[in-house]
Amino acid sequence: MEQRREYVGRSVRSKEAPRHVSGRGRYVDDLSLPRMLYASILRSPYAHARIVSVGGGAAAQLAGVRGVITPDEVRRLTRPFKPGRYAAGLRVPIPEYASAIEKVRYVGEPVAMVAADTRARAEDALERIEVDYDPLPAVVTAEDAASPSAALIYEELGSNVAWQGYVSYGDVDSAFKNADRIVSENLKIHRYSSTPLEPFACLAESTPERLTIWCNSQSPDVVYEALSEALGLDNVRVIVPDVGGGFGQKIHLIRKYAVLTALMAVKTGRPVKWIEDRSEHMMAGGHSCEQEFDVEAAVTASGEVLGLKIRDTDDVGGSVSTLTIHFTNKLNNLFNTYKVQHLRLEGRSVLTNKCPVVPNRGIGKPGMCFVWERIMDCVAQELRLDPIEVRRRNLIAVSQFPYTTPNGNIYGSGDYQALLDRALVNVGYHEVRRRQAEQNAQRDRGADLVTSARASRKAGSPPRLRGGVPWLAPQQSQHPSSPGSNVTHYIGIGVVIGVEPGGRNAARDMAIFPQSKQMPGAGGVEGATVKIEKNGAVVFTLGSPSCGQSHETTASQIIADVLCVAPERVSLTSTFDSALSPWGISSSNSGNNFHLYDVGAVHGAATRLREKVLTLAAHLLAAEKSMLRIEDGVVYVGRVPRVANEQPASGPAVGRVPRGEREEMPSGPVVTFAELGKVAYANQAQLPPGFEPGLQVTYYHSHPHADPLMLPDAHGRVRAQYTFSSAVHAAVVEVDAETGRVRVVRYVIVSDNGTMINPSVVDGQIYGSAAHGISVALGEGFVYSADGQLRTLTLLDYGKSTTLETPHIEIEHYPVPDPFTTLGQKAAGEGAAIPSPAAIASAVEDALAPLGVKVRHLPLSPEHVWRLMSGRT
Amino acid sequence: MSPPVIAKHSVRLTINGEAYEGEVEPRTLLVQLLRDHAGLTGTHVGCVVGECGACSVLVGGALVKSCLMLAVQAHGCEITTIEGLASDGALHPIQEAFVSLFGLQCGFCTPGFVMASFALLSRNPNPTEDEIRRDLSSNLCMCTGYVQIVEAVKEAASRLQQWNSGENT
Repeated sequence: MEQRREYVGRSVRSKEAPRHVSGRGRYVDDLSLPRMLYASILRSPYAHARIVSVGGGAAAQLAGVRGVITPDEVRRLTRPFKPGRYAAGLRVPIPEYASAIEKVRYVGEPVAMVAADTRARAEDALERIEVDYDPLPAVVTAEDAASPSAALIYEELGSNVAWQGYVSYGDVDSAFKNADRIVSENLKIHRYSSTPLEPFACLAESTPERLTIWCNSQSPDVVYEALSEALGLDNVRVIVPDVGGGFGQKIHLIRKYAVLTALMAVKTGRPVKWIEDRSEHMMAGGHSCEQEFDVEAAVTASGEVLGLKIRDTDDVGGSVSTLTIHFTNKLNNLFNTYKVQHLRLEGRSVLTNKCPVVPNRGIGKPGMCFVWERIMDCVAQELRLDPIEVRRRNLIAVSQFPYTTPNGNIYGSGDYQALLDRALVNVGYHEVRRRQAEQNAQRDRGADLVTSARASRKAGSPPRLRGGVPWLAPQQSQHPSSPGSNVTHYIGIGVVIGVEPGGRNAARDMAIFPQSKQMPGAGGVEGATVKIEKNGAVVFTLGSPSCGQSHETTASQIIADVLCVAPERVSLTSTFDSALSPWGISSSNSGNNFHLYDVGAVHGAATRLREKVLTLAAHLLAAEKSMLRIEDGVVYVGRVPRVANEQPASGPAVGRVPRGEREEMPSGPVVTFAELGKVAYANQAQLPPGFEPGLQVTYYHSHPHADPLMLPDAHGRVRAQYTFSSAVHAAVVEVDAETGRVRVVRYVIVSDNGTMINPSVVDGQIYGSAAHGISVALGEGFVYSADGQLRTLTLLDYGKSTTLETPHIEIEHYPVPDPFTTLGQKAAGEGAAIPSPAAIASAVEDALAPLGVKVRHLPLSPEHVWRLMSGRT
Repeated sequence: MSPPVIAKHSVRLTINGEAYEGEVEPRTLLVQLLRDHAGLTGTHVGCVVGECGACSVLVGGALVKSCLMLAVQAHGCEITTIEGLASDGALHPIQEAFVSLFGLQCGFCTPGFVMASFALLSRNPNPTEDEIRRDLSSNLCMCTGYVQIVEAVKEAASRLQQWNSGENT
């Protein structure tokens, strides 16, 4: 029977939104249990100190206080976490508990917990906990930490450089021998976070039968394993209600708090709720790591990049549990969109007395894209070539798909040149260039009239290029800018490209840690259950939680198409519940997993349920199964339907395929889903022989095209992820000549996310991830003092962009369906956060080209840009 | 060490048209009264220092971040929360616009944005995009990049005008 697409491809009305606009969302903090206590956590005020003693007696005496947990109890009553795959590179095993034990290693590290009748009383009691600290020197920068004389953060490692390693593909040395030129740069990305608006939240209840935790975890598996390991429990239930944003923040560190809250519930015998506050989240909820790259590119005179060498230093903060998480994720987009064959990436993870690092939208991949796109601009500058042309010379050609990168990633489909073409048209590239040249000429005319103090200060510096476009305006100027100019800002444009990997393969890490004793999991497994109720309603359960990506809406569209019912009749049974959800290794709201694994599982379950429906209906209608049709939840005998227009296997077609011509509903016998339901669950006499009663299917999906290279080969080639969306970002900025403030005037994206299930949902993911990357580039970030105190404890200090700083982002979709996925879909959750920091950097550098400014480090806060403009870096 | 004794104060206020009376500590915030005492959990806490706007409510018709107001200060006031916007089971046009234009994702900031939009459109029924962006800069959203929120407010302005003129009640 023809598979139709009536709802897939349309911006079908959101199923989640009505409850959220009404205040009916149910987040962990909205839940209460009888006799529930409220917990609060005492955190380290020091970046680095030895814990001499912790006294909880006075706190426990306070009226209303029901429990105090100190480090001694954590050590006595719990077991340390097993080192996960992101600690695989550790030289010696280091036990890590839910709280600090002998030392604190970052400001905000949890030290003790109090539970009381009210949250306010629990906070009162924290003041009575007596901690005797012996402060140690704080090691705050990676450079200081790597010095042999630095104070050791983990004495047992003998060095703060906790891991070093490399990956190498192709013949890098030959590439560098054959190069006409070597282009070298030092690049840096700062610490930031995704700051989900809902901080961490846990509610634990311990009964003799089991431990239940309601927790806003993106990866329930992490919490499930942590509770089992730490508390030695074998009956754990993890429930994830509505989650107020995740973005990677809620994967790893939340396990510490799940364990502490659960331990308190066990200890007090009462349910315990713990809700993190904003400043706790800022100091201890996890940051992206500060990354520094020394990059060398081997290039030909015509701008072809032959090879790349990267030395990457990751500042991983004060924990070993996510030691290599940013390094390993760079394998996912190691070559970006480029056909370069030779690359060596060396990494080292340096411990510092700062917050531990966690994934953030795109983790590691924004850094890798930043490296590639900055280097493309550097190559263009050094060779006096157009940066767009340099990219074009190195892009993977449309004829090369499916394309295997030298490290084993398989790009199913794409058309990178077309994305560039469309972006240049949409942003009005040549018009921006014309305006820019005009403005620079105007500024130079102004400069001739005034003796510029700035120009004289810079008299010793080498001559700079005039105009934002070196290859268009190669004249030299001694007076690039001037206070006498009547132009108050510089215009610049940056055009960059990036891939967005989707669908995690945990076996990736074996390419870096072949000595791993235990395979970290391979490929993906994810389940879904789809059911027709006795009354004909269609319900389903997903294997993974949602953090706001409209999973109920999009899954309903798929089910509606497969079962031929209106999406209004399809609904989600409940959010994630480990006791009910069909979950596997891919059941995580991370890794851009949903589009590959959950969509596959939902589609597979619905397809199998459809077969059951048709089998039962054929029996009841005494008809051939092949003659049956379904329309709006009614099965009838119809003529063989006309074939709908098939979607082409590639090319920029939008996901929706027009339906075949509808036939009139027949006057013959029909059976409704409700009638089928009544038979399937209640009337054995009417069931066909051998038919399993009920209309429910649970299906576990794994990627049917997970091989080749699901496991690493002898050359370390492995598929780090399975689908590769792509996008070009074009940013137009104005830089204030006096203050250095950057305003994003236009932000244009052309994006290939394959077949879109719900275009408005995809738009939302792109808008949101782009806005985050832009905000990161413009200055959002964490700042530490020299003694390791976090200075950015609030969202205001941290510099999160509001509606005022965030540009009106413009999107054009250019979908090239993936040949290997269920519906041709690719990922959309992280994408625009990956190229956007590079796009802003490129645009700001272009704007400041008249000043000879090079942008190598983020963030481009007004202060940093002003320093660049004044030559004071 | 004797535990501090904290006297409670009685407060009376109107929430979404219903009388509410209760005892609170002087340090209890309005948002805590709404969530923990009155059970209205649609008002959310994202920062508790007045920066994110997730706890925005109307106090006497004025937009207030309820984490910046003590419950005792709201004594005698009329409060409208997100739960008070829909009538007769039908979404308010602003809520409907947020739904139909995908003006939200995780939903945590949404009650605050809807209340802020309500306050904006009460003052300025037909705002420009610049005015919307200036006004809603009181609130933070980490998911949407604001584009669909701004579009939803524009749509809401248009729906509200129809609604107020009785064409779509």
